[in-house]
Amino acid sequence: MIEIWYAILCFMLVMFVVLEGFDIGAGILQHVAGRTDAERRMVIAAIGPLWSWHEVWLVAFGGVLFVAFPAILAVSFAGFYLAFFLLLWALVLRGVSIEVSGHIADPLWRTAWHFIFAASNVLLAILIGAALGNVVRGVPLGAGGKFTLSFFTNFSPRGGVGILDWFTISVAVFILVTFAAHGANGLVLKTEGPVHDRSLRIARLLWKAVLALLVVVTIETWQVRPELFSGMTHKPFAWLGLISVISGLSAVFTGLRSKRELRAVIGSSVFIAGLMISGAASVFPIMLHSTLAPEYSLSAYNNAAAGHGLAVALVWWPVSLIFSVAYFLFIYRHYTGKVKPTDDTQQPY
Amino acid sequence: MEETLFWSRLQFAFTITYHYLFPQLTMGLAWIIVFFKWRHVKTGEERYGDAARFWARIFGINFGVGVVTGIPMEFQFGTNWAEFSKFSGNVIGQTLAMEGMFAFFLESAMVGAMVWGEKRLGPRNHFLATAGVALGSWLSGYFILTTNAFMQHPAGHSAAADGTLQLANLAAFLLNPWAMIMFLHNQCAALVTGSFVVAAVGALYALRGRHAEQASLFLKTGTLVGLFSCLLVAFPTGDQQAKMVAKHQPVALAAMEGRFHSGTNAELNIIGQPNVREQRIDNPVRVPSVLSILAFGHVSANVQGLDSFPEDEWPTNIELLYYAFHIMAGLGTLFILLMGIANFQRWRGRLEKSRGLLWVLMLAFPFPYIATTAGWMTAELGRQPWLIFKLYRTSQGVSEVVSGGDVLFTLIGFTGLYFVLGVLYLFLIGREIAHGPQGVSLTGKPEVSHD
Ligand code: HDD
Ligand code: HEM
Ligand code: HEM
Repeated sequence: MIEIWYAILCFMLVMFVVLEGFDIGAGILQHVAGRTDAERRMVIAAIGPLWSWHEVWLVAFGGVLFVAFPAILAVSFAGFYLAFFLLLWALVLRGVSIEVSGHIADPLWRTAWHFIFAASNVLLAILIGAALGNVVRGVPLGAGGKFTLSFFTNFSPRGGVGILDWFTISVAVFILVTFAAHGANGLVLKTEGPVHDRSLRIARLLWKAVLALLVVVTIETWQVRPELFSGMTHKPFAWLGLISVISGLSAVFTGLRSKRELRAVIGSSVFIAGLMISGAASVFPIMLHSTLAPEYSLSAYNNAAAGHGLAVALVWWPVSLIFSVAYFLFIYRHYTGKVKPTDDTQQPY
Repeated sequence: MEETLFWSRLQFAFTITYHYLFPQLTMGLAWIIVFFKWRHVKTGEERYGDAARFWARIFGINFGVGVVTGIPMEFQFGTNWAEFSKFSGNVIGQTLAMEGMFAFFLESAMVGAMVWGEKRLGPRNHFLATAGVALGSWLSGYFILTTNAFMQHPAGHSAAADGTLQLANLAAFLLNPWAMIMFLHNQCAALVTGSFVVAAVGALYALRGRHAEQASLFLKTGTLVGLFSCLLVAFPTGDQQAKMVAKHQPVALAAMEGRFHSGTNAELNIIGQPNVREQRIDNPVRVPSVLSILAFGHVSANVQGLDSFPEDEWPTNIELLYYAFHIMAGLGTLFILLMGIANFQRWRGRLEKSRGLLWVLMLAFPFPYIATTAGWMTAELGRQPWLIFKLYRTSQGVSEVVSGGDVLFTLIGFTGLYFVLGVLYLFLIGREIAHGPQGVSLTGKPEVSHD
């Protein structure tokens, strides 16, 4: 039961990062891939009109974490207090900028909101990256099973850590570049004309950077959490994740070279999913690792909600999943194919 | 700890009150748009199509602000009320997760296509998307209200070995009688807000002498829906709310009514200021026995006063609670009167000529917002000092590791951000209303002429 809920949560987080990673990445590149106002509108049209469906994966992830592991939710949300509000405010600003930028065709209005859009996406990628970095590195959980984090301490990933240290910063940079590269693949698939051509060039460049950073971050992780690798050997899901990472990457590179655009997008999605799955599988059952002493770490087994509630949720959750995918398909089939220069998700089209 | 508690309560109260300004219009307007859309598909008359498009644009802006202010709500359970989340997560997490999975996925998938996608989806699917958004918004209201109802009147739970709560009976939790009545009352109140806004825009156009056809459609729809929802808000739903509070939260009722002393033939205070130090109502205007009838159905019923309860179980802010309740119930009565007169005039064919009445209708739209906010203050202040009534105190639920200064900082951040959001919202809505429903047609190209 606990394993299933852990897997469901990983699934939901992977969905969020893969889907929203594309939106965020496209947003990061908005000013680079689109030079004119019309081209920048195309970038927004490419992520619309389902961006908020993507974002709901995060909200729903929060809800499911609440049911299944309330103690983990409580400890981590309170511990990351200020970082969490930065994330929430960035989400607010990004949502607002998507909603309102199209309403008025005034150049100043557009420029201002497009800037806020791009900036909040950069901030979001960094925050999500730093958060993932913190989960991998661990947090200073003490004997009471609680922690607080300042933004930074001495930048060392050991002992009394802060949110930012050299490890979490490099994970944040890695995620920023990976989201941008993933977004570039998506833009190649969803756009045409100059935006498409620029995105293709950017994608080819960025994926080389992803590869280099992947090597760096892997070595760093080896230093910071060695048991992540020793834990891997007897976990089949970790192997599955590794295979996904490798096959995803090769699909990206071959897809970009031979201009098979869909293949590149699937490749980058599989790559991101694979990274997360192998990480999640190898740390299981530890959900929050303590940098102070291993016995303070919080395990899924001791922190799952009791009894009946989880069994009940296991009945309704799959039903709700089927519904939610059906809604997505109902809308998405009207929006397949490339966006045209006249398309604007904030105008009738 | 004290400080963290204080600022966390203020932050939650501020952010939720602000959030709820938007969903109430979402939920009220959604079905009115479904109605216009349905008439358009059915009759092919462009005035319904224009009306649906016009309100959908306003809906889109309103919905967007509702979404972005809702996301911080969800996460504040964990950030600010960590102990409470740990204690009750297995129970209230169910409805919060269901809200995400069943309602938010539905709304968020459909809303973009509902507002902008009429041409792509075609009439049938566009109608379905519109109905999907409406359904999703009401589902979301149901799940969150069930969560709140559990805090007002816990049902379907049991104590786990480690002292936290666990779910014992899903049906009892989801069909909590408190949730049922709360849902009905609250959704009728949302329809009140929606209909007042539609009527106000109709009145504005009528007074300006613009968009005559739409003006009369909006006035007709707004006042008709308004009358029915105002009646339903007061009776039976408001009345049932009061009876439920009388039965299960008698101490809250005593404070809402400013009743300091127990006794039979309880009088109802229509006007007066509670004086908690002296334990009396100053300058009261009262009607004898009416409170006994309203709360328990007969003249001589004993209605307990605050003196029947230990002082540490009294609601923490009796004055605000008293005023909030009286504002809600008072406004509810006036709404019925206003909508009654408006419908009477419309029935005589005089509404669009009664400029005085049109002025009142135009300026009345803020009052449902005030009534709903006051209603929530009543519910939430009446629940104090409990976070889960009679089970768990508010002071137990706050995050232990978060400092008061951090919460103050985020509260200030929200204040600034939400101020900007409010200005932006009013600006954009004002623009849509000034532009009016005509010409919001399906050009298929970006409508640069729009400004
Ligand atoms: C347009 C808004 C509106 C109007 C006119 C009324 N209400 Fe209301 N009321 C609400 C909007 C609302 C609300 C905001 O929707 C609340 C808050 C919680 C809830 O479920 O509904 C509420 C709560 C609420 C409560 C508190 C329940 C609790 O403590 O948990 C009571 C007793 C009433 N209502 C009773 C009435 C009565 C007797 C009314 C007479 C006309 C009335 N309401 C009009
Ligand atoms: C939209 C309508 C709502 C409004 C206007 C509202 C209003 C308030 C107010 C004024 C407070 C502060 C009370 C005090 O501390 O004295 C409060 C607290 C709180 N409310 Fe609500 N509320 C609403 C809906 C909800 C819902 C749906 C939930 C649960 C799902 C909820 C959960 C809480 C919690 C956890 C607190 C903090 C603890 C407490 O002070 O009791 N509220 N709310
Ligand atoms: C503590 C209480 C609350 C929480 C945690 C909460 C959470 C949220 C969240 C996360 C969203 C965004 C959904 C999305 O991404 O699509 C949202 C929107 C919404 N909420 Fe709330 N909410 C609360 C109170 C309420 C109340 C009291 C109601 C109504 C009774 C309500 C009704 C809605 C509706 C209809 C929406 C759709 C968006 C909109 O109307 O603008 N919420 N809420």
